[in-house]
Amino acid sequence: MLALDDVSMNFGGVAALRNVTFAMDEGETLGLIGPNGAGKTTLFNVISGVLTPSAGRLEFAGKPLGKAANWRRARQGIGRTFQIPQPMHELTVRENLMVAQRFGAGRTDGRRIDEILDLLDLTAKQHIDAAHGLALTEQKALEVGKALAVEPRLLMLDEVLGGLETATKRAFGQTLQRVRERYGLTMIVIEHDIETIKTLCPRVVVLNFGELIADGTPDEVFNDARVIRSYTGDSAA
Amino acid sequence: MFELTLQAVYSGLLAGGWYAMVALGLALVFGTMRIINLAHGELVLLAAYVAFEMERSFGLNPIAAIPVALVVVGLTALLVYFLIGRIRHDRELNSLILTFGIAIVLTNVILMTWSADIRSTSVGWFMDGAVIADTLFSMNSEVLFFGAGVALVGGTYWWLNHTWHGRALRAVSSNRNAAMLMGVNPARVEAMSFVVSAVLATVSGVALYTASVVFPALGHGLTIKAFVITVLAGLGSVPGVLLGAVILGVGETMTATFAKPSLQELTGMVIFLLILFLRPSGLFGRKVVGK
Repeated sequence: MLALDDVSMNFGGVAALRNVTFAMDEGETLGLIGPNGAGKTTLFNVISGVLTPSAGRLEFAGKPLGKAANWRRARQGIGRTFQIPQPMHELTVRENLMVAQRFGAGRTDGRRIDEILDLLDLTAKQHIDAAHGLALTEQKALEVGKALAVEPRLLMLDEVLGGLETATKRAFGQTLQRVRERYGLTMIVIEHDIETIKTLCPRVVVLNFGELIADGTPDEVFNDARVIRSYTGDSAA
Repeated sequence: MFELTLQAVYSGLLAGGWYAMVALGLALVFGTMRIINLAHGELVLLAAYVAFEMERSFGLNPIAAIPVALVVVGLTALLVYFLIGRIRHDRELNSLILTFGIAIVLTNVILMTWSADIRSTSVGWFMDGAVIADTLFSMNSEVLFFGAGVALVGGTYWWLNHTWHGRALRAVSSNRNAAMLMGVNPARVEAMSFVVSAVLATVSGVALYTASVVFPALGHGLTIKAFVITVLAGLGSVPGVLLGAVILGVGETMTATFAKPSLQELTGMVIFLLILFLRPSGLFGRKVVGK
């Protein structure tokens, strides 16, 4: 479904990604973790076409992504969220989803929009302005809703649980599980909450200073000495 | 005194309908591309001169000249859009310099083509008086194009809210990056905003020609008026543009009636400064956090 081959991203003299290589199968859910500044969001930006990699190749659904613009990648089936919610504030909650579906998926299907709103508990808020009256959880839900409305084959979630209190985080994590089961998506999840990663992701990839340092099951990865070192900074670990 | 006030408000209202057409074109482009098209007034003026040329050369009624003016202004607007698209760095700032330059070029093209003479329509009906309730006076053209202005602004509002292209334009205006990741092609939306802006500029230019006199240096002042209204309205608000245009129109006629006609042009600047000090987000503008 997705393959990265030797992908690097440099900002001037800073290497944000160094020769990152991994592949994902259809229907797989991958946790992407690493300390702050490890290059996780940069990797999302490269896959979604916000950034053009300095080197390397990306393939999606068997075809090279090349330098396709981000709006074309959305139409090819790559949906993503942002750490800080990015609603289209001049539109209502429902219109946000409608635009995403019409231009991302290339079709209009009100029932699917109703379903997404229901799944994300946004039905009661669908006609309000996206700029006002949404709690943080609802803003995060709208962020996921927009990405789902694109009808993606690959959904990339960038810290959608960040900033939420524990109970809300658990509930929202369950919502994400329902989303995955309902639509059978391939997912990449950036998340700092280890429990959420363990629950959602059978496979975890770890980045540190832009380098892929571990790739395996949660148990393998969380017991990996390099991963522990990357988080603790302890060279003796 | 009461009748004088009423007449000033009425004239200002009619002017407001026309101003709204001029300003909405600027506001749409500003909303989608975050650039101020300083050549917008010259596009309005170009439409006026095309109407003049059609009347002089072919005896066409200015209203019948609208399709020709639309082609000329539309192509010119797309050329401006194309040139803006060539800017690779700091588009918001560099587009100011570019569009200012285009405005100067257009003014000089108009000057060389039609000379510096003052032009106005020879179709008498436009300048004839329309009287309402025995006391309110205006020209037929003012009433006609007030109606056209309200209809076009209303039509644009409907288009923005009830069509996919309109929603896409609002999406890009709201958050360009998020809209792109939802599959919206921003280049197409931006080009569309220029085309709609050209339609509004064309009708308002022909209206200008029928209701007033035109001369090559007029464009700059039109851009300033449109900019004042856009700031007064607040970004992204079509009703705000209409209200802002009426406020400016009535403000100008009240100033001309009760102070001095020569101070009329100052009204817009006073309103502009007041709104910047008291409500920088405009009458209908929103504060956007974390965009």
